[in-house]
Amino acid sequence: MTDASVTPALQAVGLHKRYGAVHALRGIDLLVRRGEMFALLGPNGAGKTTLFSVFATLLKPSEGEARVLGFDAVRDRVEVRKRMGIVFQEPALEGKLSVRDNLYLMGLFYGLSSRAAKARSVELLGTLGLDEVARRETQKLSGGQKRRVELARALVATPELLFLDEATLGLDVEARRQFWSQVRRYVAAGGTVFLTTHYMDEAEPADRIALIDQGRIIALGTPQELKSRVGGGVLLLATDDDATAAAWLREHGHRPEISERGVLLVEAEAATVLPALLASLPVRTRRAEIHEPSLEDVFLTLTGRGLDGASAEPAPSGAQGEP
Amino acid sequence: MRGLFAVVMLDLKRLWVDRVRLVSSLIQPLLYLFVLGSGLGASSTLGGKGYLHYIYPGVLALSLLFSAVFAAMLIVFDRQIGFLKAVLVAPVSRLAIALGKILSGALQALVPATVLLILLPLLGMDLSLPAFAALIGAMLLAAITFSALGVATAAGFRSTTVFPIISNAVLLPMFFLSGALYPLSRAPAWLRVLAHMDPVAYAVDLMRGAILGRTAYPPALSIAVLTAFIVVLTWLATRVFAAGEDT
Repeated sequence: MTDASVTPALQAVGLHKRYGAVHALRGIDLLVRRGEMFALLGPNGAGKTTLFSVFATLLKPSEGEARVLGFDAVRDRVEVRKRMGIVFQEPALEGKLSVRDNLYLMGLFYGLSSRAAKARSVELLGTLGLDEVARRETQKLSGGQKRRVELARALVATPELLFLDEATLGLDVEARRQFWSQVRRYVAAGGTVFLTTHYMDEAEPADRIALIDQGRIIALGTPQELKSRVGGGVLLLATDDDATAAAWLREHGHRPEISERGVLLVEAEAATVLPALLASLPVRTRRAEIHEPSLEDVFLTLTGRGLDGASAEPAPSGAQGEP
Repeated sequence: MRGLFAVVMLDLKRLWVDRVRLVSSLIQPLLYLFVLGSGLGASSTLGGKGYLHYIYPGVLALSLLFSAVFAAMLIVFDRQIGFLKAVLVAPVSRLAIALGKILSGALQALVPATVLLILLPLLGMDLSLPAFAALIGAMLLAAITFSALGVATAAGFRSTTVFPIISNAVLLPMFFLSGALYPLSRAPAWLRVLAHMDPVAYAVDLMRGAILGRTAYPPALSIAVLTAFIVVLTWLATRVFAAGEDT
């Protein structure tokens, strides 16, 4: 094995995945460094979960190579598995068992001795603030607590790399905040995180983000780098007739995108252009906003679509991920 | 080895906390014994206790078979809710997972069978120590065979509604072919040929031999056949668990 500090955490070279006629991954090249919190952001069906599953040794690529911590994700599956932890979209806990028993048993699955597994579960319950619920039946916990137990389960074998697949889908804001603060503590302690999400605010705290769409990575960089690609400010105009407004803007040399909230425009000098636009638009403008570009805007500028597929509204919390 | 231990521990802890399943699995064999014993016994020429003694190993087999396959059904359930993924992504060999599931299924099936064992003296069956030991051995072998059958089938299933339909369609004929409830000596030849391929028949015969001292097959042959079934089914289950991750 090569030097751990040099070997990337994750590396994909020319990765393709086909399911019959569906071409889910269309040539992915990607490098994730150690100690990095890396987010894969894209709408449902973009190939997030497929790429995630290939790295997490759950799926064989049709073509290309995936390496995890220097090991081949297909051939050296067991070596990879020993060093990784994973939180799935779906619950992976036995609801009828206590929190402590769930963690203890997972410890056994990761090769810890019975004594070590017990000690490790006690330690994790402490660090994750789950002491009070240790003896409780897992199915009786709140959604946020359950997710933290999932995180504890993933951390049981002290992994070098943590995979999170839409890990806080359906959680309320406070539960999500708690979950991500725990994840950041893991990164601060030297761990590497690879996460998928279709919420831009979940991707925001990542060190680097890859935007994925239709099986390809369409942009990669720090959140700041990605936002600077939009170049300038984003203008949102909610009008009485967005279609007419967009048509008029197009005739006058702008590049509008229609979203559910209104017409979106990216302008280098948004504040300067706005008054003139308001005065000359042929339809009445009900509301006008100028904001810094968000990751959503980056995605919209690159693809002409929002992160949830058709519109630019954030997805409802109960939305389902891709299969 | 630790992986195998983890799989078994997980399943046994789950059975222990699931009191409804535990208690109903204890009651179920009694139901089989009394309903079958008194119902079929009344119409049997063997009469009273004779028939009860005849079907006792059959009831043991019935209880073992259905409990083992029910335990295996939890694999399908685990797959459906996503729990199985967490097990399959652990650094445990697929063979250890298959063996662990088979072993835990066998242990779960032996729980209700133990209730039937306790009833032995009450039913007027006085077994010598060697005969009792032979019965225990036969039960263990039967439990492992049936559990392997369940796990090998369940490993590939995705739907908890389809699995019981398929398994019942296979299990019930296997059970009726086994000679558990009635001798097949007067059955048509083709049926007897089929019975020779039925692992349940060998398991029942082995257990009956321990109790009544008479067997249809030489015990060594039954042991060899059941062992062969276990080896092939374990290999099959391992392959199915391994194939699941290569889709």
